[in-house]
Amino acid sequence: MATQQNVNQYAKAIQAQLAGIITPVPVYANFNRNFATQNDFVTWQLRNVHQPVYTGNVQSVKGIDTPTFQMSVFSTTMENSFLTANTILQSLHGYSGLFGGATYGFQISKADVVWLYNGYDNEINLFNIFMDCTLYIPT
Amino acid sequence: MALPNKVLPGFSATLYCQPTATPTPLTTANLSVYASVSPIVITGNLIPVEAIPAFGQDDAVANFNVAGSRQSDKIPTQSAPTSMTITAAWNPADTNLLLIRGDAYSGTVDRTFVISASDGTGIVNYAFNGRVGQFTVDPNPTAEAKCTFTIHPRGNQYGWSNNA
Repeated sequence: MATQQNVNQYAKAIQAQLAGIITPVPVYANFNRNFATQNDFVTWQLRNVHQPVYTGNVQSVKGIDTPTFQMSVFSTTMENSFLTANTILQSLHGYSGLFGGATYGFQISKADVVWLYNGYDNEINLFNIFMDCTLYIPT
Repeated sequence: MALPNKVLPGFSATLYCQPTATPTPLTTANLSVYASVSPIVITGNLIPVEAIPAFGQDDAVANFNVAGSRQSDKIPTQSAPTSMTITAAWNPADTNLLLIRGDAYSGTVDRTFVISASDGTGIVNYAFNGRVGQFTVDPNPTAEAKCTFTIHPRGNQYGWSNNA
């Protein structure tokens, strides 16, 4: 019997976990005006929340949830963006255990981080690095 | 109502098992009686399987070759209900998967299983008595752990029924 967990809880846990990893670099759920005043910050967005559904008309017959959140690391210097991305990679990739801290956390079997690509945005004058993290959540 | 009078998606079938570690399986006659089978078809008896494999009756035929006759002959014989190898997402504490695991360990427990398919109003049930002959766990790291078990129906002990 696999129940769907609360995605609001996922969001709170992602925010708490990321903030804990890269403190004092600020973490936001979406891009905002802070690029004008902050040299380093990270944003994240959640997607692909999905448990495979299995046969029959009973709702609870499902597999585990494997949501993915994308992290966007912004920095005014290329080195700082790489250093922040590395901190996240070292901490999250392959991590197993309580995800999201004591208040919002839940157990995950594994976190799987994919470092996607880095770049530079001329309009906002920030270096960026994009990473995906898939969570395997036993239910 | 009665039999679902539609082409059903393969998705519509659900597997149920009789509860308790020492069940009394239905009689062969009752396996075809909807009122006897339907009490098994409740959420508490559900086995959380991924997909229901092919079920029904095996093919069985006897070949005869008579000396001096030009053609041989094929006579269908009373064939056995088909064995089913089933995959389920593995929750080690799931009550009904524990029953299956126990049946496999014993090897001699006869239990009534029901496959129920519905179009929303009509229900068709395929009920059979069987023993579990295999229980393995596949811990493939890319998805949830899965357990696979095989149910071997007892000869001739199956029946079809539908709601009225």
